[in-house]
Amino acid sequence: MTRIFAATRRDVLAGGSAALAVGLGATLAPRAARADMTPHEKELYEAARKEGELTWYTTHSDDVTAQALGRKFEQLYPGIKCNVVRTTAQVAFQRVAQELKAGAMQVDVFSSTDIGHYVYLKDKKLLEKYVPESSTKVLDIYKGYDPDGYYFVTSAGLIGMSCNTAKVKLADAPTNWTGLIDAKWKDQIALGHPAFSGYVGTWVVTLRKLYGWDFFEKLAKNNPRVGRSINDTVTLLNSGESTIAGTAANNSTVESLRKGNPLAMIYPTDGTVLILAPSGIMKGVRHPNAARLHMEFLMSVDASKIWVEHFNESMRAEVTPSGGFKSAKDVKTIRPTVEEISKGIPEVIKQWREVFGV
Amino acid sequence: MSDQTLSFAGARASGMLRRLDPSMALWIVMIALLIFLVASPTVRLVVASFQEPETGRLTLANYHTAYVNWRHLAALGNSLELGVGVAILAGLFGVPIAWAISRTDMPLKGFVRVMVLGAFITPPYLGAIGWILLAGPNSGWLNRLWVAATGEAHGVFNVYSMPGLILVVAVTSFPYIFVFTNSALDLVSSEMEDAAQVLGAGKLRTAFRITLPMVFPAILGGLIISFLEAISLFGAPALIALPARFNVVATQLWQFFEYPVQVEVAAAYAIPLLVITVLMFWLQRRILGRKGYAAVTGKGGERRMIALGGWRWVMLGYALFVCALSVLLPLSVLLQAAFAKAWGRGFSLDNLTLGNFHYLLFEQTQAQSTIINTFVYAGATAFLAIALSLAIAYVVSRQLVPWSNVLAFLCVAPFVIPGIVLAIGFYAAYAPPPLALYGTGTILVLAFTTRFLPIAYTSSAASMRSINPEMEEAVRILGGGRLLAIRRVLAPLLKKSLAGAWILVFIPAARELSSAIFLVGPNSRVISVMLFDLSEEGNFEVLAALGTILLVVTLIIAAIGFRIIGRDFMLRRSV
Repeated sequence: MTRIFAATRRDVLAGGSAALAVGLGATLAPRAARADMTPHEKELYEAARKEGELTWYTTHSDDVTAQALGRKFEQLYPGIKCNVVRTTAQVAFQRVAQELKAGAMQVDVFSSTDIGHYVYLKDKKLLEKYVPESSTKVLDIYKGYDPDGYYFVTSAGLIGMSCNTAKVKLADAPTNWTGLIDAKWKDQIALGHPAFSGYVGTWVVTLRKLYGWDFFEKLAKNNPRVGRSINDTVTLLNSGESTIAGTAANNSTVESLRKGNPLAMIYPTDGTVLILAPSGIMKGVRHPNAARLHMEFLMSVDASKIWVEHFNESMRAEVTPSGGFKSAKDVKTIRPTVEEISKGIPEVIKQWREVFGV
Repeated sequence: MSDQTLSFAGARASGMLRRLDPSMALWIVMIALLIFLVASPTVRLVVASFQEPETGRLTLANYHTAYVNWRHLAALGNSLELGVGVAILAGLFGVPIAWAISRTDMPLKGFVRVMVLGAFITPPYLGAIGWILLAGPNSGWLNRLWVAATGEAHGVFNVYSMPGLILVVAVTSFPYIFVFTNSALDLVSSEMEDAAQVLGAGKLRTAFRITLPMVFPAILGGLIISFLEAISLFGAPALIALPARFNVVATQLWQFFEYPVQVEVAAAYAIPLLVITVLMFWLQRRILGRKGYAAVTGKGGERRMIALGGWRWVMLGYALFVCALSVLLPLSVLLQAAFAKAWGRGFSLDNLTLGNFHYLLFEQTQAQSTIINTFVYAGATAFLAIALSLAIAYVVSRQLVPWSNVLAFLCVAPFVIPGIVLAIGFYAAYAPPPLALYGTGTILVLAFTTRFLPIAYTSSAASMRSINPEMEEAVRILGGGRLLAIRRVLAPLLKKSLAGAWILVFIPAARELSSAIFLVGPNSRVISVMLFDLSEEGNFEVLAALGTILLVVTLIIAAIGFRIIGRDFMLRRSV
């Protein structure tokens, strides 16, 4: 009896591993490089395929968009697995710092929304210099962010406000940032957290510059609900937990309202905050060629198509938004300088903790 | 030198030789492993707390940074409040149910038991998500019901508060108290209760003055475990305390890992958790040491169930209330969210979807490997912990080496090290070169093994005690080696109790977050950490789906295990 069972079990195992092997074979089978690859791209791809994978820490978007980009990369370059780890900016940087301290780099391409991270990493000589071919083809506004070629803008987005239209009429909602401190929004505002989100960190720096820290002390009196990611505010509004988002990312809010959620995006009259978010390759990574190929990809037409599908800004002139949602060129935008951000975010995280308690 | 002393020395030498059989090498390896797993990270943690980060020189600066800050002190106070609150509430949940099941004729005992098992399997962070969906101040289901029923403008429940956090943690930690109390009550015979009743005490008075005091050591043990779990928990506070705008020790420790990583300060800040824990166990010994609890002899006379009459329905009502809080309510809203397009739209057919599962299993680049990692690591942890603890239990019970009690102590010592503290010790000791284990599955399995070694050891030692050495000796007399005796005699005898121990380690290892959060890398992610990452953007539908996968797979594996060994999760034989 036992013998029979053993045999059956072994058969099942053998069958299972055969199936697994077939499955793996299908995904790992080397395919010829596509005809439309540039010679440089082809060369990178051949070298990258030997490495087989790369790890991408990204904070540029929500998980859905990040995974779509990862899958697209895998589809364009078969045989290279893209491990997408999406977190908020400070969490990603915390892990990078832990890896640095332990001397075990896991990340290949690091995409943060806090520009200060790159200023620091470059200063400490922890970034690898690589100028992607595609970096010369992006829109002018994104070009030459780091003149030395250690990091490049690979995505951009807007921060405005939003409201739950089932609970608040758009006409009654605040039209500019200072509207948030009106006492009628007590207990109703949702915010992200600057110690997690790079978007929110940059937003705090921008508003501190515009209205002084006083603005946040007044905002705290309205007892806002503080989450972590800027995308968290979308959930809080959809569920009806809060009615006004003080930090609303254009992309995740528009994506959600297109699905039928009762949301409206508000572009403040005193300026929508424009975020330029860079990517760079860490020094001494385990998959250098795959990392370079991924940098090429992030500034490619293919990537921009996905960005636009998920209501982010396009990097490339070839890709225009499909219409119906506003992008940076349609609204008044404001943006602090690189220096203001990299110096400001650590400061405002401290100030935030004093005022908001966490 | 007389002949006698000579022969005496000769006998001793041959005794030494006998001890140096091939298995000796194995013991030495096991012992080295134990020092590697338990002693080294703990020592490293304490040392790091006194070191300057760059130079390694001795300093008190880390303690200064850690404690001369009112927010850090407030977090410490919050943790204590949380721990005490959870211990009390979990006691109020666990003890009456344990008493009712063990000593009374309350109906539906089987169902209540299954619910307690459900609460044991549910990780606290998943319970927290369930309770956010239930008691979010404006959007939670309970508040919506309240508003609909009373017509008032606002709901009454607020999960984003200290009481909310205490409730969430208590409903997932009361099973500890239940299990401890229940198994102790099962050993108490009815004689003393009879005596009390003969002397005129009522049922309630008997329960409070006789029965419960007799199992006080077990209750106290359970309360301490609940307290320790609560103060070292990371996931549930991150989900609830942060939006509620307060910190606890675990979330504060996490902040020390923000850039710039201050492991040394984190170590200094973690020391009070260690001190509190040691203090707790010392206090327990003090309290228990003064009294005798010899009535719990395990020999037990007659045991009769107390007839509660009409009160048994009241008791059942209370048990079901606790089950609802801990399992039924959070689980039903989690399932609703897992299969919903948007959870806020409620229970309707057009809101149903499998999309969240499809997203996780086919679109997400990490979820598949994360799910596999979780169960592979948990399985490996269970095997490793049991192999190690069995070996040590064997060495200890057969007195194979001197100082074997030290080994036993090292095996149960991780019990008093909170998970998040252990992770910091592991990070400091084994993440950097020469071992450079950061981001590997190995470091997770090792940390989990250490964390759950006490569970494995307690089981192994108990089963080892039950086996008379005669049987192995027979093998050895017949010329077999020690390893043969273990393989052919001990292992078959211990099979069932080891399978039980395997499950007891597997379940918490599959859901462990606190010690994983600082050690995980992109290729060694586990479900708990992925849930934590996903929870940042509050996508509750996908979160709930991933949580459902974790629960279902754990339940299946546990159910198979229970079927094999024919016992339930408290290792009681099923009738």
